[in-house]
Amino acid sequence: MPDRTMNATSTSEPFSSPGEAGPGREARPRVLLVEDDGKIAQEVAEELESRGFAVRHAETGPAGLAAALAETFDVMVVDRMLPELDGLTLIETLRGRQVSSPVLVLSALSAVDDRVSGLKAGGDDYLTKPFAMEELAARLEALMRRPNNTRETMLHVGPLSMDLIERTVTRDGQPIDLLPREFRLLEYLMRRPNQVLTRTMLLEDVWNYRFIPQTNLVDVHIGKLRRKIDDPAGVPLIHSIRGTGFMLRVPE
Amino acid sequence: MQLGEVLRTATFRLTLAVVVAMIGTAALQFSVGYSQTKAFEFRRTDALLHREAALLAQEAPQDLAHKVSERATDDLRVVINQAALFDSAHHYVAGDLRAWPEGLAVDGRVHELTVRPNEDEPYVLRVLAVPVAGGRVLVLGRGLHMLAEWRLMMRHSLLVSIVPTVLFALLCGIILSHRALGRVGRMHEAIDRIMDGDLHERLPAGRQRDEMQRLAGSVNRMLDRLEHLMGEIRDVGNDIAHDLRTPLARVRARLDRAQAGTLSADDLRTVIARAIDDLDQCFSVITALLRIGEIENARRRVGFSLVDLNEIAADIVDLYEPIAETRQIRLELLAASGPVPVHGDRDLLIEVLANLIDNALKFTDEGGDVTLAAFTDSQGSARLEIADTGIGIMPQERQAVMNRFYRSDKSRHVPGSGLGLSLVSAILRLHNAQLTISNARQHEERPGALFGVTFPPPAQAVF
Repeated sequence: MPDRTMNATSTSEPFSSPGEAGPGREARPRVLLVEDDGKIAQEVAEELESRGFAVRHAETGPAGLAAALAETFDVMVVDRMLPELDGLTLIETLRGRQVSSPVLVLSALSAVDDRVSGLKAGGDDYLTKPFAMEELAARLEALMRRPNNTRETMLHVGPLSMDLIERTVTRDGQPIDLLPREFRLLEYLMRRPNQVLTRTMLLEDVWNYRFIPQTNLVDVHIGKLRRKIDDPAGVPLIHSIRGTGFMLRVPE
Repeated sequence: MQLGEVLRTATFRLTLAVVVAMIGTAALQFSVGYSQTKAFEFRRTDALLHREAALLAQEAPQDLAHKVSERATDDLRVVINQAALFDSAHHYVAGDLRAWPEGLAVDGRVHELTVRPNEDEPYVLRVLAVPVAGGRVLVLGRGLHMLAEWRLMMRHSLLVSIVPTVLFALLCGIILSHRALGRVGRMHEAIDRIMDGDLHERLPAGRQRDEMQRLAGSVNRMLDRLEHLMGEIRDVGNDIAHDLRTPLARVRARLDRAQAGTLSADDLRTVIARAIDDLDQCFSVITALLRIGEIENARRRVGFSLVDLNEIAADIVDLYEPIAETRQIRLELLAASGPVPVHGDRDLLIEVLANLIDNALKFTDEGGDVTLAAFTDSQGSARLEIADTGIGIMPQERQAVMNRFYRSDKSRHVPGSGLGLSLVSAILRLHNAQLTISNARQHEERPGALFGVTFPPPAQAVF
């Protein structure tokens, strides 16, 4: 289970650049990192910088609050335990002042209900330490993109079309027969095209499970889906991102 | 052992309290006794005065003066200390009371007056004045000397008895405190030795079953448990070291090979990928360990709510079906007809089921069956059963598989952190649920394993 671990050294993979594909350096997404542990902060900042983020680091709660109020950030990473001003209080304060940038809450390994309180305070996602850098990057990306949650009854990604009412899927007009669980998984992928989705994200969001399975569950489900979506057409849409997860990529 | 230390002991302080109580009791006894005696003595005095006055009043008026003065030598003096006759203007006529007592009223009632004779100290009398024939007044008085004597005697005897009693009690207190201090001192010495690292040392607990020895017994049982736990931790430490060393050694060997520089780019990539897999194995062990620690420390059950096991079971089967399919194992859900409510944490219960199913799939061969059932049993308890058709678990191994890191020798080749079942038992302990392991069926080579989980009935499970 590579999901939450710190094996974050392989950056050679063609990770999708943040923001829309290829917007150029000038549009680097801005991240506010509020983290008191200098070592972790440095590591995270360097990693995110190398992935094209512009990182602003604040060491304490008040400093983070001041920074978040002074400038606009695309996304924020806030540690739960901060000196002087607790992370959750910080988020609540920001939400109270109409700062709506998405927030990912970082926390040391802790009880299940911690997650709930983190999300209740206004956090948008929650990640427990230790985590893989890929996991963090993928989640930040997901937070910035905001999924395509339109009320439309049809989803279209490349050659794929999904009818949410009829519960049918076609590729290049050819109907594909999917089980309900496969339909759910594909819907999640289609709402987030060209975006790296980690195994943990899929487990949490598609199946609503918060445990780390001993087996490659997600891979098997993706494999089944792939066989139905990609195999007949010959051109793969679902790609594996090594050491990270999967991506539904629209062919150019 | 210093005297100060003795005087500070709980035993000695208790002795002091007893001594104070003793003195208080004696004082109370004395004062109640005295007031009772006083009331009795007053009544007796008044009755005597009235009777004597009535007797004297019957005398002929001419004899009365003689009778009264004669009383000075009479036996009756013991009873009636003073007697005198006054004329109507309260002038002395006869008797041993020379002056009219100040404040005395002739009303046939007994008065308590202080008499101040010229030649003597003033003293208190109970006095009765009755009119007699010839307009004269007969005055009879009785002193309170009996009462005073009695009080003096009682006070004296009280003092004489209380002083040695108190001294004796204090002495006993000091001796008992000394003994208690000695026992506590021996316990302190034992505790010091334990703190110095001698974990086999125990507190002295004698045969008497007094509170001190019961406490020592409890502490000893606690020490036994701690020693056992320490042993477990040591074993777990060794197991962790072993389980981490193997993959780490492989990583090292692979990196060595990569460093040698004779590999092609493709081979290098393979080597690195395998090294990452080995490291992931290490991380999975560490993550599972942290998770178990987290669950075992979670005293809180705030995340608990009413959860439907049937629904969770259906979800889990949906999640694991593709895996079973790829291994050609039939994964079957024997669903209950209605909801199977359990008071618990949904996420943790999913983890339990996922681990048990995962485990069952791992130990079942191709073509086998894994069956999951959730139902409410005849006692009203929710029950889960996970049965497989694998090699099964030997009765003598059933307890051990729930311990950390235990992996049957038969299953050494099966990948995994070896912590899945420890995680399951930690979560079930949090839910007060019972986990049992038995054979799933009658079969010589493949009896299969049946993991049964019984939850407490909902009424008991609400904390």
